[in-house]
Amino acid sequence: MRIRTKLAIKCAQGVHGFILKMGRGSGVTLPGYIARLIDPKILSELSKEVKLQVFATLGTNGKTTTNNILYHTLKANGYQVISNRTGSNMLNGIISAFVLSADKNCRINADYACIEVDEVASVGVLPQIQPDITILTNISRDQLDRVGEVDLVFRKLQEAISKIKKTTLMINGDDVLSYVLALKSKQDFVTYGINEQVFPDAGRSEIRESIFCQMCGEKLSYQFYHYGQLGMYECGHCGLKRPEIHYEAKNIVIEEKRFAFDVRDIHINANASTSYNIYNTLAAFAGLHTAKVNLDKFPQMIEDFDFSNNRESHFMISGADVQLHLAKNPIGFQQKIAMILKDPNPKDIVILINDEYQDGEDVSWLWDVDFQYLAEEQTKEIMAVGTRKYDMCLRLKYEDIVCKPAASAREAVEKLVDHGTGNLYVITNYTGIYSTNAMLRKLEELRKGCQN
Amino acid sequence: MSEKMKLKIGHLYPDLLNLYGDRGNIQCFRKRLEWRGIDAEVTAFVMGDQIDFSQLDIVLLGGGSDREQELVCDELLSISKEFRAYVADGGVVLAVCGGYQLLGDYYRTKEKKIQGLSVLDIYTEWEPTRLIRNIVLKSPLFQEPVVGFENHGGRTYIGSHTPLGKVIYGLGNTGKSGQEGVVYKNVIATYLHGPILPKNPHICDYLLLKALDRKYGVTKLEPLNDKLEQRANKVIYDRYQDKKYVLKETIKRYT
Repeated sequence: MRIRTKLAIKCAQGVHGFILKMGRGSGVTLPGYIARLIDPKILSELSKEVKLQVFATLGTNGKTTTNNILYHTLKANGYQVISNRTGSNMLNGIISAFVLSADKNCRINADYACIEVDEVASVGVLPQIQPDITILTNISRDQLDRVGEVDLVFRKLQEAISKIKKTTLMINGDDVLSYVLALKSKQDFVTYGINEQVFPDAGRSEIRESIFCQMCGEKLSYQFYHYGQLGMYECGHCGLKRPEIHYEAKNIVIEEKRFAFDVRDIHINANASTSYNIYNTLAAFAGLHTAKVNLDKFPQMIEDFDFSNNRESHFMISGADVQLHLAKNPIGFQQKIAMILKDPNPKDIVILINDEYQDGEDVSWLWDVDFQYLAEEQTKEIMAVGTRKYDMCLRLKYEDIVCKPAASAREAVEKLVDHGTGNLYVITNYTGIYSTNAMLRKLEELRKGCQN
Repeated sequence: MSEKMKLKIGHLYPDLLNLYGDRGNIQCFRKRLEWRGIDAEVTAFVMGDQIDFSQLDIVLLGGGSDREQELVCDELLSISKEFRAYVADGGVVLAVCGGYQLLGDYYRTKEKKIQGLSVLDIYTEWEPTRLIRNIVLKSPLFQEPVVGFENHGGRTYIGSHTPLGKVIYGLGNTGKSGQEGVVYKNVIATYLHGPILPKNPHICDYLLLKALDRKYGVTKLEPLNDKLEQRANKVIYDRYQDKKYVLKETIKRYT
């Protein structure tokens, strides 16, 4: 190993230790930055040290979950694995994951690496890590104020994937954008998908990407949609059509708090209330199977798997059941609405919308979500908080649904815990998730004290 | 008036031009008519549909990506004569972002020149740096400020046209001119997403009144309770009146 690389690793580890000692955050970005300053080639150097294979996971939704499934399966097989599981998926965060896993001799001793990569960062990251397996979950609109438009995200991903010397691409065959990208990338690709219409109506928004053929510009015809633009598509003009599916989820069962399906004669049972996780599970399965990883432990791992990525939590506050969920883009939010509607009991909802840089400063995406489904009998009260709470209230007002602004998340939660249905959903976008989680945990503790 | 009033709204190519929540503008038109007891009939025209402009009272042309705009372009050119006649006759149009660019003579992107409808005597040139941020305008048409979000690669040169407003915060038509949008006859063309109408109900009502006046001779609209709308507008307006905040945001943007 080059001395320069060793020096970079030592300095980055020192900085990491210092940040932790000072109690200033988790220290997952700065070490990567320092390491890169000292050795600009550090990421490609360290990626080469991975003994068996490197996985990269890309896409708008489901990256973190898919990457975590890969990580846990590989771990369950007894391998040493490098991963940026905390979701810090920009260049510096990814470098940090590598340098922080090095031992005192600056060796990384990893059998596998599984790395989640942000769309914008992908062009810089993929050529350096040269993944053997690249999983693309899906492409849809998210934080358009960062990139401009979905077509530009598509081009960035295409450029990034084309810069890998040789990789096997796992794509969601139900997503026409992913499929066209695979065709254009000239890489080998493997598909996963679902042939039957199993997703609930409330998860389907009217707003979709790419209704027109990316190849010839004619309108695509769809036999049906799963959600978003995912579905059974075909172009009557140039003949582009949904490819043959190599990993198909069959015999799908979706219930309120779990789902099950079969893939390649393996039965999968998962404890997740959000059915889009079928795709994430399937994507990870396809990647691992293609990489010839032993999958005997996969079903048990999934059964025990926590699909929430610390972005979903349950609380019991003064006898009220409170759930916290993250929804950061239209497809994600629509899926949460579908999840709420699966719950047959009376409920209340608090929605937190911020417009910090990490959230996306443009909140117009709220109008791409079909909120009219919340005009149902069992949704009793809705309150909005966050820097853009009035935008949220307006969005619902224009569906003739009453949504009241509140001064803070805590005020809204306390009001609905004390005077509501006892069944509260809190949905927040990105920057609200950690503070709301902390607030709910504190409230849970505090209210316990009161009862005693 | 014995018969119930009704406005017909044409949403042009919503399957292609549906970026950034622009369909919220349709919802805003519709609801603000319905809440006043006026019927709203919305027709979505997709590629290949015949559009009879004489049957329409309001036309919405939204934004799409450059690729999508190219797809729409040929279709639009085939109806450009009818579209121009509709505008000349006082027909109401709201054109947003890509729709705004398409109303001009042309939009020159990195790769090619997209021919426009030439409804307005303006043109657009693409530049690699996109203009992306919140934007606040002061328009002589309205007492209230206009707020929204801009996200465009094109710079639009409006010549001798009247702008929609002066840029108080943000970038606007070219990023330099200090002006945003165009008002021409009963057309409002703008880069503002948000979507623009819900947080600026004064613009929505302005266009509705123009359409109702043209069709029924109505000169006054029944006021609605717009407290929420005004508060949503004020949050953005106040934020950019605060010099400290603007400085903080600027520093963040360039670091």
